[in-house]
Amino acid sequence: MNWLKFVAIPLVLSSAVATAEVAVVVHPSNAASLDQAEISRLFTGRGTTFSNGSKATPLNLAESAPARAEFDSKVLGKSSSQMKAYWSKLVFTGKGTPPKELATDADVKAAVAADASAIGYIDAAAVDASVKVVGKF
Amino acid sequence: MKKSLVALALCTALVSTSSVAEVDISGFASVVGGKVLSGEGVPEFGLEPTFLANYPIVGFYEEDWSFKPDSKYGLQISADLTEGLSATAQLVGRGADDFNAEFEWAYLSYVLNEHWTLQAGKKRLPLYYYSDFFDVSYAYLWIRPAADNYTWQIFNYNGVNAQFNYQVNDWTVSGNIYTGREDDTENKLLSEFFGSQPIREIWKNILGGVLSLNRDWLDLRFTYMTYQNERYRNGVQVTWDGDDSRRGKFAGVSANVDYNNWVVLTEFNRLTLDGGDFDTYLLSAGYRLGQWTPFVSFADFDSESEMHSTASVGARWDFHSSAAFKVQNDDVTDDGINGQMVAGDSKAITFGIDLVF
Repeated sequence: MNWLKFVAIPLVLSSAVATAEVAVVVHPSNAASLDQAEISRLFTGRGTTFSNGSKATPLNLAESAPARAEFDSKVLGKSSSQMKAYWSKLVFTGKGTPPKELATDADVKAAVAADASAIGYIDAAAVDASVKVVGKF
Repeated sequence: MKKSLVALALCTALVSTSSVAEVDISGFASVVGGKVLSGEGVPEFGLEPTFLANYPIVGFYEEDWSFKPDSKYGLQISADLTEGLSATAQLVGRGADDFNAEFEWAYLSYVLNEHWTLQAGKKRLPLYYYSDFFDVSYAYLWIRPAADNYTWQIFNYNGVNAQFNYQVNDWTVSGNIYTGREDDTENKLLSEFFGSQPIREIWKNILGGVLSLNRDWLDLRFTYMTYQNERYRNGVQVTWDGDDSRRGKFAGVSANVDYNNWVVLTEFNRLTLDGGDFDTYLLSAGYRLGQWTPFVSFADFDSESEMHSTASVGARWDFHSSAAFKVQNDDVTDDGINGQMVAGDSKAITFGIDLVF
């Protein structure tokens, strides 16, 4: 049963690293309610509007930001590599464009605070009154 | 010369409009090496042991190491002209074509509303599941989609395409309807591999549609296409039972599952042409172990006289955030009869790196 160790070790490592909480944030004026499935739709290009019908502009964090991998795995249920493969298929067949990427939590917070249609995510510890939290994962 | 003029014109157009348009450049590349480990070839054609990895572009391995058959690069330039209008061009250079870059895609796109987008220009035919992103190896598990399925000589079309995307309860319903034609003045597969005379292959009155249903871990896809085939051999029109054209009908269904760490990929397709059926299927399964995904795969092509299958085993390793290493062993069985052998039995090893940027 040696193979069990190969399976078990990566699982233990990934759960040990996955501790930080990710907060999904929108503009304070945005009254839409969002569950995980709806957030996932917006960040995979399958949906383009909030529950009230208004346009949604998802904003991604760059891969170098720690909350990116957290978000991909907890909310989208994929690794960042899987998401890149997913978007490659859509981008190179003219079926979709991935969300714009911003470098840091602070950049996402500033962009969301300035745009009523924006939805982003940041490390939960970075949340302040400039944005509204619609979900924590 | 003509090609570089087209490229120059496109670049000039993109540069001169860049004051108003946001231009995105992205791309992909694969560097793959491999060789035939053992094989029978086809003695009656004088063919040495050969592994035909890619039918349409005639990418094949022989007993010496080669890094050309599966290697390729692609560069996509997309200009957002605002108000829903965009222009996209994709240049692809393949090792099997000595890396001569061709415009594989060149189309305009107009977003009608939140559900529908219209496109016009040159695109890839979305016949099989992997047809329209066949070149973007980073986006799938293996080194290449099974050669036994992806055998058809025409893979582009010029025309119009309407694509849609709806949310119905928990399902994402998307797809497209397309029409157009393709006139390939010297078809590589028919002229070079399956013959020795120049063949002009025309698929006209193409009309097709794709319907995809996605939910969580399940991905279902249905595809249908009908076209009229005309062919010229050495400039002389080919006739079939006295007719100078024939109609082909292609239908396929694909079901893919991505559940926990399991990936199961399947597709079943049938082309009906000249009263005969050309059936293909692919069954593949993989299991993700962190960055590694070992896989097995079986693909089959079956018609009245052309029959072949490939059993594959390999692994994908996502060692980098934008690149994957793959290694694969393919075991081809060619049971063709009545002179319909393709390349004979072969066993081949291939490995390489796929990346996107």
